[in-house]
Amino acid sequence: MWVLMLVTVLLLSACSSGGGGNTASEGEKASNEITIWAWDPSFNIAALNTAKEAYAKDHPDLKINIVENAQDSIIQKLNTGLNSGTTNGLPNIVLIEDYRAQSFLNAYPDAFKDLSSIINASDFADYKLGPTSFDGKQYGVPFDSGVTGFYYRTDLLEEAGYKAEDLQDITWDDYIQIGKDVKAKTGKDSLTLDPNDLGLIRMMIQSAGKWYSAEDGKTPDLAGNEALKEAFITYKKMMDANIVKLNSDWSQFVSAFNNGDVYSVPTGNWITPSIRQEASQSGKWAVAPLPKMAGQANSVHASNLGGSSFYVMNNVAGADEAADFLSKTFGSDEQLYQDLLNKIGAIGTYKPAAEGEAFEQADDYFGGQKIFADFAKWTQEIPSVNYGVNTYAIEDILVVEMQNFLNGKAIDDVLADAQKQAEAQLN
Amino acid sequence: MNTGDSLQKKNNLTGWAFISLAVIGIVAFYFYPMLQALLLSFKSGVGANLEFTGLDNYKRLFIDTTFRTAVSNTFLYLIIQVPVMIILGLFISVLLNDSTLRFRSFFRTAIFLPCVTSLVAYSVVFKYLFSADGMVNQFLMNLHVIAEPIQWITDPFWAKITIIIAVTWRWTGYNMIFYLSSLQNIDQSIYEAARIDGANAFTQFFKITVPLLKPIILFTSITSTIGTLQIFDEIMNITKGGPGNATMSISQYIYNLSFKYSPDFGYAATVSYSIVLMIIVLSIIQFKVAGDKNG
Repeated sequence: MWVLMLVTVLLLSACSSGGGGNTASEGEKASNEITIWAWDPSFNIAALNTAKEAYAKDHPDLKINIVENAQDSIIQKLNTGLNSGTTNGLPNIVLIEDYRAQSFLNAYPDAFKDLSSIINASDFADYKLGPTSFDGKQYGVPFDSGVTGFYYRTDLLEEAGYKAEDLQDITWDDYIQIGKDVKAKTGKDSLTLDPNDLGLIRMMIQSAGKWYSAEDGKTPDLAGNEALKEAFITYKKMMDANIVKLNSDWSQFVSAFNNGDVYSVPTGNWITPSIRQEASQSGKWAVAPLPKMAGQANSVHASNLGGSSFYVMNNVAGADEAADFLSKTFGSDEQLYQDLLNKIGAIGTYKPAAEGEAFEQADDYFGGQKIFADFAKWTQEIPSVNYGVNTYAIEDILVVEMQNFLNGKAIDDVLADAQKQAEAQLN
Repeated sequence: MNTGDSLQKKNNLTGWAFISLAVIGIVAFYFYPMLQALLLSFKSGVGANLEFTGLDNYKRLFIDTTFRTAVSNTFLYLIIQVPVMIILGLFISVLLNDSTLRFRSFFRTAIFLPCVTSLVAYSVVFKYLFSADGMVNQFLMNLHVIAEPIQWITDPFWAKITIIIAVTWRWTGYNMIFYLSSLQNIDQSIYEAARIDGANAFTQFFKITVPLLKPIILFTSITSTIGTLQIFDEIMNITKGGPGNATMSISQYIYNLSFKYSPDFGYAATVSYSIVLMIIVLSIIQFKVAGDKNG
């Protein structure tokens, strides 16, 4: 019995190490087929399809498979695959959210291909380079901008006695005041929030050039973080002002503004297609610059929420072809970026393509506003921060402390406790 | 060596040959991963950069407040869930065992049906039933039970209640089927004799039904305990552990450690082993409390 067990264990471990050895050399081999994983059919998958068409004109021989996977399942598959040492079943190119990029680059140093010579990193928006590079090397091809805006309903705002000019250069405190007036006049809430998601806090602190962790990306920076403190206080003020409609997932989030329950959506520009879904509200929307934080001297009217970039897997056959695909499309094709705007409304972060006719188009849904030109302008103002490796782990700690704060715990204790916990839990 | 011995030996070998495939399968897919996970629980680091850190992960368990929250939530589910499910299952099964009841098989099917639905599908349905503008709130408001919608999913207290209601709905029928099948095996003459002696329905239930069902109650309570300690799908799909970890279970914490945060598989394995330990301890207690002397 024991002998049998031993034999099996040996056999298995032999298998697994053998498998690892084989796949390591596969990366060198050429391939006429590459596979790409992304998650949003109306956004990044659509963008990849556009790029695929553009690439096929000059390179008809390469077969490109674009596979849709939920973002969570991409993360699971990457983690389990890379950790077990086999690259079987992994794609050539994978889309990774910027908040998670450093954690992947840190955890699996040899898994991703160094693209420093493939693309010109300085061609991309500065704030995208922190998340996509590691150890001085450029690993990611920056893709979409998470540049934020303050989407609002012009009709409801007018009913409350405000004009578009009143929304330029405002602070979050002004935003709350406007929200109270809108509620009094129209009965509508200001915004919809998921208590499990601190995206609003992230937007606020990045606008002041701060993050949950210090510059090194590892040390938690919570207790003495003035921007975070003000963001927490502002969040509570919003709750206390009774202008927030709670939601618990994406579909409730979208239906809150599609139904007209809230008058504004301060969030990333990727929300544009979802806002457009409701045809009856056409012409009633506009986008203002994001409010800034009153107490933070360096807070600007621009921030970032989400955003993602493409990475090439080192040890999967076809790595060179994959890198070439990225370099000829998202890495250099200015016309592609115009097409992405026209067809999908996806704002890239490739600087040479930040102008052009697509940006100058007036959008009837947004009352004739040139929203892409505005977003492109704000993209350049986004303060660069290091998201580090622990964004989501720290956020889970903060979500709990936020509940405590809303229930009356003092703000300094809240942040001090969060700091203590983060230091104890994160390595 | 006589012939008897060699025959014995031959029989042994044939026996081993028969079970060898199963043994190899069990060793390869159960014991080997379990051993690997145990080894993993002594390692620490991000992703593939693991190194041995001895008992560090186990020490971290004791200072980890998120783990503590996850354990206390899971035990809260356990303490409320398991008795509610067992008592409800027992009660319904006795009602449905009454041979004078009409449409018996309809009721049985109706109550068992939740158990065959997919965990994810029913969780998503519950999420929408209990959302702020969901059917449950509208129903209660129409009946004037409540004036304001209850924040079933986004309030820490009500989120726990929602999970408990969902799990009860899903699993009560499962236990009921076990009770029903063993109720069929109780000789009706025992009840007849009891009735002749003047025992009412309550006495019959507590003095005859419950004692005779004891082994099966023990079985269901252990399986329910194990199931509740591993609760994951409902929480992942209804509340994602929120608001603010209020509904987080141990299994969901393991998921977060492995996939949501920077992957720390070593510590996730340690937390997994803590569940193993809890299940062993609780099962032993249940056997001691409820089991027969030789059980």
